Amino acid sequence: MLLARVIGTVVSTQKDDALQGRKLLLLRPLLVDEAGQFRPGPSTIVAVDSLGAGQGETVLFCQGSSARQAAGMATVPVDAVVTGIVDNVDVNNRTIYPEPKAAK
Amino acid sequence: MRLGHVIGKVTLSRQDPSYRGGRFLLVRPWAPSFAQATEGRSQNQTAGPTLVVYDNLGAGLGHLIGFTEGSEASKPFAEATPVDAYNAAIADEIFHQPPQ
Amino acid sequence: MILARVDGVMVSTVCHPSLRGCRTVICQPLNEHGAAEGTPVLALDAHGAGQHQRVLVSTDGAAARAQVGDPKSPLRNTIIAILDASS
Repeated sequence: MLLARVIGTVVSTQKDDALQGRKLLLLRPLLVDEAGQFRPGPSTIVAVDSLGAGQGETVLFCQGSSARQAAGMATVPVDAVVTGIVDNVDVNNRTIYPEPKAAK
Repeated sequence: MRLGHVIGKVTLSRQDPSYRGGRFLLVRPWAPSFAQATEGRSQNQTAGPTLVVYDNLGAGLGHLIGFTEGSEASKPFAEATPVDAYNAAIADEIFHQPPQ
Repeated sequence: MILARVDGVMVSTVCHPSLRGCRTVICQPLNEHGAAEGTPVLALDAHGAGQHQRVLVSTDGAAARAQVGDPKSPLRNTIIAILDASS
């Protein structure tokens, strides 16, 4: 799985029947760099939303055939599904998400 | 399967119902250049992008783990679980010595 | 299947039940000239491959699950052959 930021949505009217009623999200993967900070990944990915993730949120998504193991996705022809909405990310015991507030 | 260091953890506020009981580790894949270059260099010479690995063995920060990717990662579960990276082993130690 | 060289071993006590008691080796993929190519992978070794021996690694999960006799094993890579030294 990878972490990603929701950067947009994709809308389609003519699509596979199994995709009817599904929300498609545009995701930018978030990698963690050497300094322990988020860095955007090199590619943009479209994933099906199963949880109601919104623009700007940080999510966890699953790729490949495992993606269809998500709830209600067994018969949907997809290879990327948002399976979690991120609450907190710790790197080396330091919280990097949500972004720590600047010290006063 | 690949080796990777646990560098952090992820908690979710909403998740797929099948994830109950699992933990999510942030993992930096291991590479020999990293292993051999720890002295005097950044501790993070890496073999690829960081990823999130499902864990039910109890791995923690700093552990070296062996993780499986792809469809095999969803095999250990009794019910369908969308996992494409699974912690299969916590390494006690590794012996790694490429030929000179 | 990939050509690889055994460059080390992993010792693990806390692991998936299907891996318990198994030897897990660190395999360095090789190119056609025998030079290292890509990053090392872990593979199950049931044949007793020695350090720096060249091996054939199968990345078929179904075969790996059959080998350990556990349909729920997360295993994928297994050593299926040790190459002759002369080849």
